Amino acid sequence: MSALGGPKQTGGIQPPTGMGLVLSIVLIIVALALAFLLVQMAGVIALVGIIIGGVLIGFGVHFVPVGGAPAAMGQAPGIATGVAMLAAGAGLAGLFGGAWAAPLGLPLALAGGAVGGGLLMAITCTMVNVIYVFGMGIPAASGKVAKDPITGDTFPEYKSQGTEGHGLPFISWVGGVIGGALGGLGGTLIYLELLDIYQAQLPVLLNATVEQIAPVAVSLAGIFAVGMFLMNAVLAAYNITGTIEGPHDPKFKRFPRAVIAAAAASAVAGIFAIALLELVGVF
Amino acid sequence: MSVKIEVGAGGIPHNQILIYGLVGSLVLIYLTYLNTITNTQYFAFFGGLAAVVALLWGTDTIKHLCSYGLGTGVPSAGMIALGSGVVGALFGATTGILAPIVAIIVAAIIGAVAGVLANNVVRMDIPVMIVSLTELAIVGAMTVLGLAAMACGTFEFLGMITGTTVILGFAVQTYEASVIGGSIIAVIFMLGAIAIQHSFNACLGPGEKQDRTLMLAAECGFLSMIPVAIISFAFIAFLPALVALLVSVIGWIYTYVQYIALSKRDAYAWLDAKPILEPKGGA
Repeated sequence: MSALGGPKQTGGIQPPTGMGLVLSIVLIIVALALAFLLVQMAGVIALVGIIIGGVLIGFGVHFVPVGGAPAAMGQAPGIATGVAMLAAGAGLAGLFGGAWAAPLGLPLALAGGAVGGGLLMAITCTMVNVIYVFGMGIPAASGKVAKDPITGDTFPEYKSQGTEGHGLPFISWVGGVIGGALGGLGGTLIYLELLDIYQAQLPVLLNATVEQIAPVAVSLAGIFAVGMFLMNAVLAAYNITGTIEGPHDPKFKRFPRAVIAAAAASAVAGIFAIALLELVGVF
Repeated sequence: MSVKIEVGAGGIPHNQILIYGLVGSLVLIYLTYLNTITNTQYFAFFGGLAAVVALLWGTDTIKHLCSYGLGTGVPSAGMIALGSGVVGALFGATTGILAPIVAIIVAAIIGAVAGVLANNVVRMDIPVMIVSLTELAIVGAMTVLGLAAMACGTFEFLGMITGTTVILGFAVQTYEASVIGGSIIAVIFMLGAIAIQHSFNACLGPGEKQDRTLMLAAECGFLSMIPVAIISFAFIAFLPALVALLVSVIGWIYTYVQYIALSKRDAYAWLDAKPILEPKGGA
């Protein structure tokens, strides 16, 4: 028994099925209605924030140059690991940056998250190229486009035969930083919205001050942000199916599918996270 | 370019493992409730065993799913499992004695939604995708709930967010010294994610054997139990934590020895190896 089938290898992009689209919209509306019923307007605002965060993550993942195993052998451009790992790294770094800046207000915290995620990807992309160029002795060359859209460097004369390109061209570096920043922004947004909900509910529930419940609220919001981040990142990874070079890759055009999926998945996971404290003490 | 993922045929049918995994982890996690009934903490380690059983099931599910060739790495399946599972586990935990059952239901809902989105919106079009992601989300939830119950001796939310700390000789209730308040849940998340994604990732390829993969899954599960047992010294009494540590270490040594024996059985050109039979129809 080996590979039994797998995604159909047809040309072009398959649009989402009608059922998938309808289900996504229904799920989002039901989740928003539940959020309103359970936590009133604050719940709706939080859920909208979570959905936007999820969409930013799903969209941001498409910018990150993922090379996978072929990149490790210098046979494809990008960073030599999987989408889930890279997205998790960038998102968690962003989340830490944002969580650290959370007491300074929403705009600063979001900026902190974006800078954290972008910084991690900038360092990763730079060091990946240092290893490619000085360690493996290969130049950066994209296999998908002939010319770098930003610098205008040409690739075909540097591309080795039999490979899909190698190294990390400048456009992929820029894509990585944008992707990391969007992922960090999205993760931080989810974290902040959940933190607001828990900081409002936990003191009433446990009859304690906001300072006393802070560790619980921070930890819960953090772990849910991580969980939803990984769900959205993996759905985006399934959308990419393997490797992508960055925003210039033809696969980048698939992003609307991941955006819809991320919105619906975030809505469903988000409503459970928002409703978490409603059942404490009921049973 | 994607790597062909090959899995071995034969072994225990997946549906049988599904039933054993579901019922086994549910029963084992409920055995930790003996702590509450008998007012001791000696039964905490059953939570870890529930996680091990769930991980065995999850590994077989990942094997089932990844044999279709996701185009992205095997670890992504483990990441989405724990990402959706942690939401289900913590939501379930708030429902008191019903916790494991509610966790299973909520995780199944989130997993099924992710599966439908992956198939109908992202257009993976993999027949087992919905069932597999549902199973994986339940596995993730049971792993998180089991390991959390092992760390603090209960699967109830209030037990997870409250702990005691000694200040100037007085035992004081605090939210900081708890499984969730101390962010131990994040450690548990990663311990579970690594355990679920590693075994099939390590064993896939020609000559993959189910018993060897599952033995590695059990080994990873017990390995994750060891840090949780050490963490549990902070939350439960010394002797129960010692029992949990002994169970984890003994379980790990046993499964490790067994796994090495199975690896030697399947390894080519091992000194004591028996000749390897070519798989029918070629590898």
